[in-house]
Amino acid sequence: MARIHLRDVCLDYPLYGAYDFSLKRRLLGSLFRQSSEMRIIRAIDSISIEAEAGARIGLAGPNGSGKSTLLRLIAGVFPATSGKVEITGNIVPLLGLGAGVNLDFVAADNISLLLRISGRKPTPAILEEIWAFTELEERMQRLPLRMFSSGMLMRVLFATATAFPADILLLDEWLSVVDENFSAKAEQRLRKMVETAAIVIIASHDHALLRRTCNSIINLDHGRIASTVALDAPVPHHLELREISA
Amino acid sequence: MIRIEPPMMVLNQQPTRRPSVLHIFKVYYPDLFGGTLTVIRDICAGLKDTFNAAVLVCSRSGGERQIVVNDVAVERVHSFGDVLSLPAAPTYPWRLWRRIAEHDLLALHAPFPLADLVFAFGLGRTRPLVVHWHADIVSHAALRFLVEPMMRRTLRRASAIIVSDPVLIETTPLLQEFSDKCHAVPFGVDVEKYDRPAAHSDDVNARGRLVLACGRLVPYKGFDVLVRSAHARNFEVWIVGEGRERDHLEQLIRDYGLQDRVRLLGSVSESERVKLLRIADVFVMPSVTNAETFGLAQLEAMAASRPIVNTALDTGVPHVARDGLEAITVPPGDPTALADAIETLINDPERRRRMGQAARHRALTKYSTTAFKEGVETVYRKVVSEEATAKDAGSLAPAPRPQTAGFVGAIQIAAALAWSDVRHRYVRSLLGPFWMSIQMAIMVAVLGSVIGHLSNASAVARLPMLAASLTAWTFLNSVVLDATTALQGSASLIKDRALPPVIFLLQCTFRQALFAAHNAVVPLVLWLALTPRDVGGAIAALPGLVLFVIAALGVSLVLGALATRYRDIKPIIESSLTLAFLASPIIWTPEMIDRGSTVMRLNPLTHLFAVWRDPLASGHVAMTSVIYVLACLAALAAAAVVTITQLRKAAFWI
Repeated sequence: MARIHLRDVCLDYPLYGAYDFSLKRRLLGSLFRQSSEMRIIRAIDSISIEAEAGARIGLAGPNGSGKSTLLRLIAGVFPATSGKVEITGNIVPLLGLGAGVNLDFVAADNISLLLRISGRKPTPAILEEIWAFTELEERMQRLPLRMFSSGMLMRVLFATATAFPADILLLDEWLSVVDENFSAKAEQRLRKMVETAAIVIIASHDHALLRRTCNSIINLDHGRIASTVALDAPVPHHLELREISA
Repeated sequence: MIRIEPPMMVLNQQPTRRPSVLHIFKVYYPDLFGGTLTVIRDICAGLKDTFNAAVLVCSRSGGERQIVVNDVAVERVHSFGDVLSLPAAPTYPWRLWRRIAEHDLLALHAPFPLADLVFAFGLGRTRPLVVHWHADIVSHAALRFLVEPMMRRTLRRASAIIVSDPVLIETTPLLQEFSDKCHAVPFGVDVEKYDRPAAHSDDVNARGRLVLACGRLVPYKGFDVLVRSAHARNFEVWIVGEGRERDHLEQLIRDYGLQDRVRLLGSVSESERVKLLRIADVFVMPSVTNAETFGLAQLEAMAASRPIVNTALDTGVPHVARDGLEAITVPPGDPTALADAIETLINDPERRRRMGQAARHRALTKYSTTAFKEGVETVYRKVVSEEATAKDAGSLAPAPRPQTAGFVGAIQIAAALAWSDVRHRYVRSLLGPFWMSIQMAIMVAVLGSVIGHLSNASAVARLPMLAASLTAWTFLNSVVLDATTALQGSASLIKDRALPPVIFLLQCTFRQALFAAHNAVVPLVLWLALTPRDVGGAIAALPGLVLFVIAALGVSLVLGALATRYRDIKPIIESSLTLAFLASPIIWTPEMIDRGSTVMRLNPLTHLFAVWRDPLASGHVAMTSVIYVLACLAALAAAAVVTITQLRKAAFWI
């Protein structure tokens, strides 16, 4: 079962300056007893979060308050400096859609590769389904992505990233596609994905969005939990969905 | 803290078939007797109505592979003997992996690093795992840094951990990390087995000088301390058990001149042991390290109403028999304190009787076999039913579960990425990577003619070997160069998709191996055309070639990580590769180089090429080269392990 358990988690983020990447400096520095201490900022400061199936957590806070870093820590990108991190369930981090795309490859190959990267086996049926969602012409599957307009590219990437349900879904800002005809459809698909996921964590500046989607909001400030707001009943999405699809 | 409770779940109904559980340990009856084995046997027997048990262990006796012990199927994997207290059974991990799918539950009796190896690589994730934590690794503590990460991975993956005493969860650092899935289930003892016949009513031997101890004769049991404590006292010591310390203990007994009072009884039958426990006056548990977690032997003595002398370890030992109530607890490894405690009891028959009664009462009420059986059964059932629930939930999901599972998943992704890199070469040109083969062919032709003139040898006959060497060198060179930039090039995948950085270093080796397979056309064609086609030599070269590829992989892991952390290393690597190319016998022929030169002899590349080139040329390879390469690989493996642990921080560097 999906579960996120963080207890007193801290993350010290080393700030590497231009010279900190030099082995020579490092060796000479320790030889001459120069202060070789790297600058470190505490990006996450004793944060405890306990989330089980059904949790919809919003992360709010100003820029640099640790929202994205916390998402990456949960995703397993950064190791915690101290504290306990226990996560069960398959994590789908949708932190950037562009990762892993090769513009020289044809669209179909890109989709296959992106699916493989997320540990799925690309079958013709799945590729077909993803392509159908993009509403692009069939023959474009065989074109390199560099020939796509940015809107078309977004369609392909979005369709691929949201093709499978997730146990734990991590979102850095709500994904939106700036495309008149497509955006409503994309919005609906993401809603659906958020609904089916066991646990969702969204980092966003948009408080209205967080209140709509989440059942608890964590306000972060300088890596600490400034406050936690529990929202009783998240607004049911079904109503809104019907409005959109109507 | 935010706690969102899960919705109530309906537990699914009893499965119709008895689920089967695989017990994983290093050794089993009849190869050895001892506390852990008793526990496994008792679990198998106690749970036989609810669980089908099977045991997979190692054995050096070389007898039947499949045997049945007490109605339990035991499979024994051949072991070549013990290395660092571990059976040297290279096929065990493989066999374990094959067996996992046949069972519903895995019960690992830890510590057993050979099995941790399987779980650390993410194999066997399809079945739930329960770890019976029998002891921490105390001996060979220097190698702990190698084993501990594996044990941690196993514990992280385990659904539940069973320990014999709650104090172990607090005192064992590794268990503290997983305290919420630890269950304390104390071992049980069948008190009735130790009931005295009614006729034999004298509870306490008036002479009262007989001290008994039981256990395998291994260092942590502390029997040497017990022997020393008998010096210049007047009690008798009988030690039951067999083991590799026997010679040492016999020597010690002779040295102290205690042959008439201290006896090593060797292995005795179960009924004989019960008799001995009944006639003994004091039972001693002199264990000296925390490897003794519980002390099943002292519990048996308690069931037989014996007063105990035990040691103040950080484990369950002093909690099972408590100081002043059922036991006298002395500091471990202190012969004088031990002797004083024994004498106190021997001089006080009334106290012996009182403590014996208390001991029996405690064994009867706190350590019953029923409680042990039920405790283990509850944990097993819970884990199996949770797994079944999860499976049901999984099958309802519209999509298949992702296949990524630890190391195997990483390799699959790396292979997919490498494959797509190679395909990409074909996208823009019809020949694809074969362009590089043409380049290789030209290089071979030019170098071959130049060297032919230089050395006056028959240049044509040497061409296949030159081509093979150049292909191999190009592979090694490109793998290392690729690795130095691989992590920076994949920063977005590491940071946004949370892919483990090691994938991109593996990708370099895989990709270059595929390119090398294209390039290998050149030496292959030359070999077929110009030599008598000695297939035997080619096959003999394969193991060496595998070592070569492994070395390339190891070097790329280590240097790839280093070059990402310290950016000034990359130019050093680049210039070193050129130097290495010139200082190794890659294009040079044997006549042109001084094989005896120190640089040539110490250069690992000389030997790395020799292990596959020599068999190809002459059919045999110098032993020194093989040993040198294996030593280098061992060092590389250690460095690679360190690198992989450090790679967790790679996201900070890019």
